[in-house]
Amino acid sequence: MKKLVALGLTLVMGVASLTGCGSSSSSVAEKGGTIKLGVLAPLTGTNAEYGKGFEIGTKMAVDRINAAGGVNGYKLELEVKDSKGDQKESSDLARKFADDEEIMAVIGDFASGSCMANAPIFDEAGLVQLSPTASNPDYAAMSKYCFSIMGRQDGEAPFFSKYILKKYLNAQSVGVIYINSDWGKSCYDNFKKSADEVGLNIVETVNYVQDEKDFSSLITKLKAANPDTICIMDQGAVPQIINQVRGSGWDVNITTLGPGTSEQLIDLCGENAEGIYLSTPFFFDPADQDSMAWKDEFVQKSGFEPTVHPACAYDCVNLIAKAIEACGDGDVTRQSIRDNLANVEMEGVTGPIKFNPDGDITRKYLICSVENGEYVIKEGFDYSEK
Amino acid sequence: MEYLFNQIINGLCQGSIYALMAVGYSVVVGVVGMVTFTHGEVIMIGAFAAFYIFQAFGNNLLLGLIASFSASWLIGMFVYKVCYERFFNAPRHISLICTIGVSMLIKNLAQIIFGPNQKPMLNVIENKFFALGTIQISLVQVIIIITVVVLAILLSLFINKTRWGISLRAVSQDKSASYLMGINVKRTAMIGNCVGCGFGGVAGMLLAIYYQTLSATMGSSLGMKAFSSSVLGGLTDIRCSALGGLCIGIIENLGITITSASFRDVFAFGFLILILIIKPEGFASKKGVRP
Repeated sequence: MKKLVALGLTLVMGVASLTGCGSSSSSVAEKGGTIKLGVLAPLTGTNAEYGKGFEIGTKMAVDRINAAGGVNGYKLELEVKDSKGDQKESSDLARKFADDEEIMAVIGDFASGSCMANAPIFDEAGLVQLSPTASNPDYAAMSKYCFSIMGRQDGEAPFFSKYILKKYLNAQSVGVIYINSDWGKSCYDNFKKSADEVGLNIVETVNYVQDEKDFSSLITKLKAANPDTICIMDQGAVPQIINQVRGSGWDVNITTLGPGTSEQLIDLCGENAEGIYLSTPFFFDPADQDSMAWKDEFVQKSGFEPTVHPACAYDCVNLIAKAIEACGDGDVTRQSIRDNLANVEMEGVTGPIKFNPDGDITRKYLICSVENGEYVIKEGFDYSEK
Repeated sequence: MEYLFNQIINGLCQGSIYALMAVGYSVVVGVVGMVTFTHGEVIMIGAFAAFYIFQAFGNNLLLGLIASFSASWLIGMFVYKVCYERFFNAPRHISLICTIGVSMLIKNLAQIIFGPNQKPMLNVIENKFFALGTIQISLVQVIIIITVVVLAILLSLFINKTRWGISLRAVSQDKSASYLMGINVKRTAMIGNCVGCGFGGVAGMLLAIYYQTLSATMGSSLGMKAFSSSVLGGLTDIRCSALGGLCIGIIENLGITITSASFRDVFAFGFLILILIIKPEGFASKKGVRP
């Protein structure tokens, strides 16, 4: 008898949860009310700098939109959650957002791996996941609800090997150290493919997993192959690797693909960062007033210099706002936001944004170097036009 | 060949830091008689104490060492008061769970107070190199290995030669008997716990110097390594724990030499499992070892 009751209860719970999921995608935002957007960001852990940037970048955008009277009569509201740079954590939060009928779209997560883990959840819930930074080429195509505005690894990695290493630095032999994650693996694969095409000589490749602290044995391994340039592919651990390379007394050219113009890199490396090269899709141009004003406001609110990542997060909110605006007099639902988002065209802080059919965009890249503790754009090349 | 030797030196250096953490861990476990999960956080607090001292008073290694030792000592007192003192006669899992809770508390408090970002600890020790034939060893590595060896010898003398040490050992062997012998068990247990934590703190400082960064979340994976090193050494034997730490450090680095760093923990824990299958009591001889 007890078993029967238990079975009955389980069935009831199961059905209840199923209907709960089903109805969530059809909720409509109340006219003139607030629209809630979820934000997934690694506020703690190795990538905390970027997570914090997301939080502040998205908040700046929402504040501006609300101060200007909202969008299409709606006010925007953010619900920021800490995914800790952990895919499991991120998926749990994604599920929470998916089940929360008030959430109309989600901005995040930071890492490609987390975004890809969340893709099936958001796909099922019919909820937009607009990642400011995911760049794994497979990500956006995973679901029609997945978008990214970072540009794809199969754009940046070939640019890095063909132009920065081969043409600009004329590297003869390259050692690669990359993080063994969805992002890092795809980054390296694309890098390797184009390196083979242009005849760039990769002499040694080593990798590590998230939260690695000691790189000395990897560095010794790279050193044994004696490359003239090394390329580090990661975000959070890049400063530690640079420090440990220099700490081992190795005077090699360092290039890094991934961190963008991260201020933390200069803070954590000090003199060790001098002369490193990196690629970035975007740079705060001192000649551009709007972009500098944006940067100043960000610094004031966060206390640190922005990279491209928070600027992308800022653009993401504006993209969603555009999509809501495009709903016009119609209902604002998860579905209508998705449909309009796919067609949005916008000139963001980070440049022009227009989605490819897959839901990601193609970016142009710049070459950047560290000189006297500051990032400097290297002029005198037009590779990104090609 | 020189490449292999360089990797062994990397392993030796990392292993000696593991050893210092494991020594602290085994003092705690041996004396208090309970497994702790706060050791990672104690290590982190030690690193931060040294970081702030270096910022305020310049890079004085001795000052940093004292600061990290005493900060971790204080955390050790806190942990003792909260997790152990009231639960001496309660089932062991109560204080075990309690240490997990305190570990989360300290980690999250640290994130609030120190911020979630990584912090730099640059050029505490001058970046110099010594060449032994073709093998290169840096000044940092030399200093770390020397510090660890000196501290381990001091601790060993303390435990084996002083009156305090004898009462510590007595408490670790049998609490009620030592109580009958007139030893203040609670105070001795607290001091034992604090000494262990202090050593963890110094290990934290050395780690931060070696890797040149520190962050509030650095502790969790380190606590695990300290635990497995001391399990390898038989959990309560100080010298064997140190040996366990060294072994794990060297095995890890040799493993990385052959494959990649993604398999670091596979080698560390695989080796641990292998040893435990062959010799379940770890490196320590069976005689005199109590869980």
